[in-house]
Amino acid sequence: MHPLLNRRNFLAHTATGLGGIALAQMLARDAHAAAGPIRPQVNPANPNAPRATHFPARAKRVLMIFCSGAVSQVDTFDYKPELIKRHGQPMPGAEGLVTFQGAQGNLNQSPWAFRPRGQSGKMVSDLVPHLGALADEMCFIHSLTGKTNTHGPGENFMATGYTLDGFPSMGAWTSYALGSENDTLPAYVAIPDPRGAPQSAGNFWGPGFLPAAFQGTDFNATQPLRNLARPAAFSAATDRATRDFIGVLNRHHLERFPGDSELAARISSYELAARMQLSVPEVADISSEPAHVLKLYGADQAGNPVKDLKAAYARNCILARRLVEKGVRFVQLFNGAYQTGGEGVSNWDGHKSLQPQYLKHGEVMDQPTAALLADLKQRGLLEDTLVVWCTEFGRMPTFQKGASGRDHNPNGFTAWLAGAGVKHGFSYGATDEFGYKAVENIATVYDFHATILDLLGLDHERLSFYHNGIERRLTDVHGHVIQAVLA
Amino acid sequence: MTRLLKCSLACFIALTASGTVHAAAPVDAAFFEREVRPILQAHCFDCHGEDQAKNKLRLDTSVGILRGGESGEPLLVKGLSAESYLIKRVTSQNLKEVMPPKGKKLTAEQVGVLRAWIDAGAKVPGEAAAAASLRLKTDHWSFQPVKRPAVAQRGGEIDALVLAKLRAQGLTPSPAADRATLIRRVYLVMHGMPPTPQEVSEFVNDARPDAYARLVDRVLASPRYGERWARHWMDVVRYADSNGFETNRERKTAFHYRDYLIASLNADKPYDRFIKEQIAGDALGVDAATGFLVAGPHDIVKSPDINLTLMQRQDELADMVNTTGTAFLGLTMGCARCHNHKFDPILQRDYYAMQAVFAGVNHGERQLREKSEAHAQPALAALKTEEAALQKTLSALQEKAAASPATTTAAKSRPAVSALFNEEQFAPTEATAVKFTILASSGGQPCLDELEIYNDAGLNVALAAKGAKASASGTLPGYAIHKLEHLNDGQVGNARSWISDSGTGWVQIDFPTKARIQRIVWSRDREGKFSDRLATQYRIEAAVQPGQWHPIASSEDRQPRGAKPEGDAWLARLSAADATAARKAQADLVELKARMAKASVNGWAGRFSSQPERTHRLYRGEPMQKREVVAPDALTVLGTLGLAVEEPEQNRRVRLAEWIASAENPLTARVLVNRLWQYTFGTGLVDTPSDFGANGTRPTHPELLDWLADEFVQCGWSIKHMQRLILLSATFQQSSTPRADAAKVDADGRLLWRFPPRRLEAEAIRDSMLAVSGALDLKMGGPGFYLMEVVVENVMHYFPKEKFSPAEFRRMVYQFRIRQTTDSVFGSLDCPDGGSVMPKRSRSNTPLQALNLFNSSFITQQADFLAQRLRAEAGEAPEAQVALAFRLFYGRPPDAFEHRSSVAMIREHGGPSFARALFNTSEFLFVF
Repeated sequence: MHPLLNRRNFLAHTATGLGGIALAQMLARDAHAAAGPIRPQVNPANPNAPRATHFPARAKRVLMIFCSGAVSQVDTFDYKPELIKRHGQPMPGAEGLVTFQGAQGNLNQSPWAFRPRGQSGKMVSDLVPHLGALADEMCFIHSLTGKTNTHGPGENFMATGYTLDGFPSMGAWTSYALGSENDTLPAYVAIPDPRGAPQSAGNFWGPGFLPAAFQGTDFNATQPLRNLARPAAFSAATDRATRDFIGVLNRHHLERFPGDSELAARISSYELAARMQLSVPEVADISSEPAHVLKLYGADQAGNPVKDLKAAYARNCILARRLVEKGVRFVQLFNGAYQTGGEGVSNWDGHKSLQPQYLKHGEVMDQPTAALLADLKQRGLLEDTLVVWCTEFGRMPTFQKGASGRDHNPNGFTAWLAGAGVKHGFSYGATDEFGYKAVENIATVYDFHATILDLLGLDHERLSFYHNGIERRLTDVHGHVIQAVLA
Repeated sequence: MTRLLKCSLACFIALTASGTVHAAAPVDAAFFEREVRPILQAHCFDCHGEDQAKNKLRLDTSVGILRGGESGEPLLVKGLSAESYLIKRVTSQNLKEVMPPKGKKLTAEQVGVLRAWIDAGAKVPGEAAAAASLRLKTDHWSFQPVKRPAVAQRGGEIDALVLAKLRAQGLTPSPAADRATLIRRVYLVMHGMPPTPQEVSEFVNDARPDAYARLVDRVLASPRYGERWARHWMDVVRYADSNGFETNRERKTAFHYRDYLIASLNADKPYDRFIKEQIAGDALGVDAATGFLVAGPHDIVKSPDINLTLMQRQDELADMVNTTGTAFLGLTMGCARCHNHKFDPILQRDYYAMQAVFAGVNHGERQLREKSEAHAQPALAALKTEEAALQKTLSALQEKAAASPATTTAAKSRPAVSALFNEEQFAPTEATAVKFTILASSGGQPCLDELEIYNDAGLNVALAAKGAKASASGTLPGYAIHKLEHLNDGQVGNARSWISDSGTGWVQIDFPTKARIQRIVWSRDREGKFSDRLATQYRIEAAVQPGQWHPIASSEDRQPRGAKPEGDAWLARLSAADATAARKAQADLVELKARMAKASVNGWAGRFSSQPERTHRLYRGEPMQKREVVAPDALTVLGTLGLAVEEPEQNRRVRLAEWIASAENPLTARVLVNRLWQYTFGTGLVDTPSDFGANGTRPTHPELLDWLADEFVQCGWSIKHMQRLILLSATFQQSSTPRADAAKVDADGRLLWRFPPRRLEAEAIRDSMLAVSGALDLKMGGPGFYLMEVVVENVMHYFPKEKFSPAEFRRMVYQFRIRQTTDSVFGSLDCPDGGSVMPKRSRSNTPLQALNLFNSSFITQQADFLAQRLRAEAGEAPEAQVALAFRLFYGRPPDAFEHRSSVAMIREHGGPSFARALFNTSEFLFVF
């Protein structure tokens, strides 16, 4: 038997009409798979120099939109007529079910109606109508499953592939693997929500055990990059002269250590820093954006706290687009924060009063995020940019006992991909009739990560870093690329 | 299955069970060859044979059969076919599990043959030899006994062994570094800060032949030494001052362990003792040392979902096992949590045996007995007894007050609510349920430790044990000590209490049958430790029919809580003598608590259960997949501790520690001397310092490593002795100037043809900056300083400080290190957060580092301090300032070019700009 025929993936492919080119690609990858781990060769003098992919990439960069607090799938993208039909009844088979906060009440339909959207007729709720209008662009994965029902470990898991602290984030892995194509901007930028940081923020864009060169740099449209600006105490001329003087002393010192690459790299890092001092404020300054763009994103709205918040988030969305435009390898955009109020106040954690909280979060997230996607498409950036929308886990189709909100549920939740290399207007996997558990084409977060790396031209089983006795991977020892979502 | 076959199979099994297998087929090795092998050959060899051994299982050899696969499951349990994994897999009804996965399944008859064979002892050909070859052993270098090489040059062994390697590559060592470079190197390596100009000139001008040896002695004797080297150890053991995970709360008393490390290193505590104290310090009078066991991250968010709680505990134990393995033994034990180690001779069973050693260890604070005033120890027990007696007296008096008729009939006649005890009396009333609604609290979500409802016969009918059911508006999530079921469990105290999930809330008790009630007693903390979260406004209602509530008591007629938190109004209801007694008891209690607090010092350290639960091996590491019970033990390949499954908790750790800290352990000394080498030269002889297994790298100088390890044990495990030897070696004293010829052969300098220069760690850079600016505060020990602003919530938030005051100008080892945060200046310099063990730091070089060191408010502030210092100590003349600055920063005078350009810099742009530049120079940030 041909070894390829052993692969269950192959059958999935033939069923979806995979062409000969993709088959050749798979063969090429199989040849790869036989080999050992790949540790990217990082030049310490220029750690973010671009590096080769393992095989031809479909996406050059990633924009990851992370909604903190666990967005309810049954109130957004996972339409369940049976849930509506059985509203108010106990969920069959859930007697005595205990979830994160305790006992469950009855099934509860979403407060928002679902409608068919776009050509695909995808059912999306009225909570996110602008995103719904772009359903034809999206590739939904409805059958994601996690390993924990607690936010911190859940966010760790989505961010790093581990529920524990101390592991590198997906963005850190990506910049470690691929470096950057823009040497005047960081390879990896995290854009925190205007309300603050998510839970486990440090893990989200931290380097874990990877060199600090690969950690995410965090700034947003209102909070500039720390230590970027010239200190007020020094004039521009003095600042320039000081930098020159550092160069003079360091080069003079280097003469005593000819050929020392670490010392030479330090000198060039100051030159790069100077270029960043120009390029980062420029990319973060959205005042040059025309009025129609601000309007498209909702960045011109104001007048009440929700609109102010929406405008602030919208400005972050514009920043994300500008970073993508500049070729930043990994952009992580956050929606929702724990910092200014957990349990649904500032994030999607709607335990007790889901409807009023989600009304606000939907308003803030929907239009700006949709505008971002539409803007990327219109500028042709979706051709080589992968957009990932995700959250740490899902929520219950039931309301919590004695409350009007939903508890945590890692057994089946939704994420979507869009842009480079993925199908559009496509849905993969399914939860049961109520949206509680993934039952069809069950996918793990490992699979999700493996798929994203695959789109970047990276074999998740081979991209590795030796740490403390183990060749570490983003996907631990798990994960299968979800071939069915690849275009 | 046909009836006939069923019958024959039953007969076969019956025979087997009785142990009298028919005479024609004695179940021996020949039986295996004749009956068993053909079955395995037909169905199993394709995947578990010579060509491929899936999951490392081979069934075609006796060795393979006896060993089993990598899952760690016992393939054969001799005499117990039902327990044997082989039988489980070939008879599984689960299509994903059943073997063989494809093709014809085994017939019942074939399974019967396998069962008969196993039940009769699973004899295989050549069994004795196969078993002997299987006795876990390894020829991996690090498991072999340490062999001290014979070296001709006594006293020069290190250099001789380094030189031998250099010569083999055709290399020569470098000449000695000049004295100014050498003293700076010694200080940076050993103290993490540069020498003062005076120390430099004293050494440079010291003509005595033993000037350098004296310098080394001075450096090793300084308290700065322990601060520097403790920080290295803190990387190895993932130390931080917060819990990590989402709540990431502070551990305000974790610093005792850090102080213990510094003191131990400064005192040159023998390393074997150092190991034993960290693993079992509670048995050696050093409770603080057990901070080692619980220094790692720890998730305090618990869920009612048992799967998650068990997994959290498994993760905690894995952290302890893994850190013990990597820190002391250089073994990645954690890899064997789910299956036998893929590279090293570590069985999955070994992992769980070591887990059993730590099964009784818990995170938390404990009294540090060595720090709690020694003479107060017995007294403390007496104080506790005294406290209980006083509490009892007070409670009795309060009950008496409550029972006595009110002296006035004013509306607010009843005493104010008390955290300790409250009573509600009312005319007997029938009820099937009672609802206690809290309208306001003294602060925070209200707490009730017990709600008692008495019927007219004086029985508490609210008890869960009597069938009453409690419900509530909501319960503060995530705390095992605050649960709804504690409300009516008959147990009092904060640790058995309910807390609402909001500032108000209600609880309800439903009785199993209608009751005639007349008295309610409730409290916030009847043990008297807490008085916050007290319900101050409330109403109590009763109902016979659901929903038809009628009020029976409320806070309306209580006096408001006065300035004195507990209120003294109730005293008025007592006789004069009783009131005096109550006042005295109150005063005594206050005084007693102060005395107790003074007598006890608490620290974040190991807390130990008296008798831990039994440890099971877990199939694939899944908490719900328990397999056989495992006794506490060390590694099979290196022997056994011979402990019982029920071994007393402390003894497990004592014995493991003794085994690790033994001269015979081939790993312990090697791992430590390698760390000393690494932190001295930048790279260890083994450059995977916490992995001496097959996946790690081999030593560049195996003989040198063994010589050092043996010397270490021989000298009585003295770390300072080893460091003295290393520092006094010519290898250490070489120049670091590069040589193109040598670099061609050995670019990384692993063979030590020069002293390899390297960038300093974040802590050494910050400490050095403070030292040269003159801002450094050398206060040792105690609570750490914060580089983060803390916003306290259920989940803690931390924001980098932008302004720094002298409190933050201590050495960075005293920084309150918070997981998941990186300092805004020094985080980019690969400064770990304690999220995982970090035996070897990266040395990144990024533009962000340049920005942080050039623009941060920390740097500009230090630049100002330095400029002031230069003016104060050298006067206004730029020439003198430059001369002093170079001595402070580099331990040398400037050359003519440097002097000229520096003076110009000060003249044109001022002292602070000059200072800002020097902080950014490579010569300052590196050790050469």
